[in-house]
Amino acid sequence: MSDPCILIVEQDLLVRTPLAEYLRECGYLVLEASSAGDARAFLEDGSRRIDIVLAEVKSGEPSGFALASWVRTHLPNTQIVLAGTIATAAEKAGDICQEGPTLSKPYDHRLVLDHIRHLLAARDRNNGS
Amino acid sequence: MIPQPLLRPRTARILVVEDEVLTRAFIAEELRLAGFRVIEADRADDGLTYIKAAVEQVDLVFSDIQTPGSLDGLQLAEILRDKYPDIPVILTSGNAPPRHVGIVEAFVPKPYDVTQTIALMSAILAQKSPGEPL
Repeated sequence: MSDPCILIVEQDLLVRTPLAEYLRECGYLVLEASSAGDARAFLEDGSRRIDIVLAEVKSGEPSGFALASWVRTHLPNTQIVLAGTIATAAEKAGDICQEGPTLSKPYDHRLVLDHIRHLLAARDRNNGS
Repeated sequence: MIPQPLLRPRTARILVVEDEVLTRAFIAEELRLAGFRVIEADRADDGLTYIKAAVEQVDLVFSDIQTPGSLDGLQLAEILRDKYPDIPVILTSGNAPPRHVGIVEAFVPKPYDVTQTIALMSAILAQKSPGEPL
């Protein structure tokens, strides 16, 4: 089975790159998008299965919320984690995301990794694998 | 088995500046498979910000000429030549190379052969730091 694939949607290169490298070193295949629009390009391309989308709430136009809604509608097997500062709308994120509350920024890489492991493990349990 | 971060010796870091996300992801993935570390930027401005921030040393820049933002790839190359002359630059474009593209180490026309392009990068890095592992 191939490594799980994580798509990180984050505008800030200085934030995105270290997180992506950390997750790669943990064994994940990581794709990087600087906007929700670029993330849609990956998701619609369909050449690889994306297991988790980790998206910043403020990811340009469309927003992270809009991206999450699109994923929930079109790719129900792909899980979404929204991330943002406390000032962002956590309640709305909870309606959209698999696991309710979002990750807060700035990212704690270890917490992101724990969250990803938790989501993948829950999915595998639900799939009976 | 739970994946854990691995400790590895330092490998060369390549900054790829390309605004077409699928193209960028493809070359970045091939470079990683070839053993390089890759920073992915969709704008030349962001690439320059990364280099200025000196988060980690960048060993080579591979940039499209036509990039969104306040800088294009050629302007980025000019800045790097002045401020960071140790960082070699390879430019790429689907258009004909501009006349003063000679300021950079190489120009690769699009569509490029990924294997040959990576070989070119390896050769430039080897020339820059002979004897050091890539």
